Amino acid sequence: MADRRDVAAHPVYLADGVADAEEQSERKFIERLAQRDERAFNELVELYEARVFRLLLRMLGRRDEAEDMAQEVFVQIFKAVGTFRGDAKLSTWIYRVSVNLCKNRMKYLARRHSEGEDELEPVAERAALDEAKGVTFGDVAQPDRMVEGYQIERVVQQCIAELEPDFREVLILRDLEDLSYEELSEITGLPDGTVKSRLHRARSMLKANVERKMGEKIR
Amino acid sequence: MSDPGTDPSHDLESSEAAAAPHEPDEPLRSMLRGALREEEPPPNVLAGVQKRIRERSKGKFYADGWSTAKHPPLNTYLVTSLLMLAILGISYALLSPLAGAPVPVRNQPVPVQLIPH
Repeated sequence: MADRRDVAAHPVYLADGVADAEEQSERKFIERLAQRDERAFNELVELYEARVFRLLLRMLGRRDEAEDMAQEVFVQIFKAVGTFRGDAKLSTWIYRVSVNLCKNRMKYLARRHSEGEDELEPVAERAALDEAKGVTFGDVAQPDRMVEGYQIERVVQQCIAELEPDFREVLILRDLEDLSYEELSEITGLPDGTVKSRLHRARSMLKANVERKMGEKIR
Repeated sequence: MSDPGTDPSHDLESSEAAAAPHEPDEPLRSMLRGALREEEPPPNVLAGVQKRIRERSKGKFYADGWSTAKHPPLNTYLVTSLLMLAILGISYALLSPLAGAPVPVRNQPVPVQLIPH
C-alpha cells in the first residue's frame, strides 16, 4: 500500500488539491455574489476591472467608450450573476458578457455612423502623440525609425478597426488576451473548428490589409 | 450572436478550419501587441459601477457609505475620537485655573423672631 504522505506529496495530487481548493473558493465566492453580497461584488470588480477594460479598449478603440462600457458590463454582471450556473469559469462568463455587450455597442455606434474613421483617427493620433510626448528629433538617434514605428502602429489600429466585430473578437481574445480555443468557444458560443477558421481568416485579413496599406510584407 | 446551427457560413468556416494552420503568426502577434499596448493604467471603475447600481436599484444596493467604501473608514473614526479627547483635555486644563477657590457661604440659620400679636 502506498504511503499516504507519498501520495499526498505527489505533484499530480498536489495539483488536484490546489485545483479543488480553487474551485471550492470560487464556488463560495459565486454564492456570495448570488446573494448580492456587496463586498464580494466589490472584490469581483477590483479583480476583473483591468482585464475587462483592456479587452473593451481593444475592441472599441476608445478609452472613454471602454470605461463607460466596463461600468455597464459590471452592472449587468451584478444583475445577472444569479443566473450564472457555474458551467464555465467565472472569468470566461465575464468575458462572454463583456464581448456580447461590446458587440451590441459596436452595432449601436455603427448605426449612429460614429464608428470607423471618425472614431479611430483620434485614437491613432493620440497614441502617436502620447508616444512622442517630450521627445524631440534631436533626442532620438533614428527619428526616421521612430516615425516609421508610429506609422505602423497607426495602420495596425486602423486595420483592426476595419475588421468585422466577429473577426476582431476572436483575434483579440486569442492573440492579445491569450485565451485558449476552448475558452474562445465558450465565449463566442461557436464550435471549436469555427473558432479556429475564423481566427485564421481574421489573421489573414489583418495581415493582407496591413501589408496593402504599408506596401510591404510583414516579416 | 448568431446560431451556429443555422448559419451556413459556419459550415464553410469549419471546412476551412481543417486546412488552416493554427499556430500563432508570431510577427503578426508581436505587431498587434505593439500597436495595441496600453501605457496608461486602467481606470478605477468601482465607484462608477456602485453609483449606477445604486441609481438603478433606487437605493436598494450600495445605499450606505459602509458598503460603498472599499474599506470601513476606521482611521477617520479613530482620529476623530482622539481629536475630541484632546479638545476635552485642553479645555479642562485651560478652564480649571479660572475656577479658583470656592466662595465660603454662611450656612448658619437665621434666629427665629416671634412677632407679638
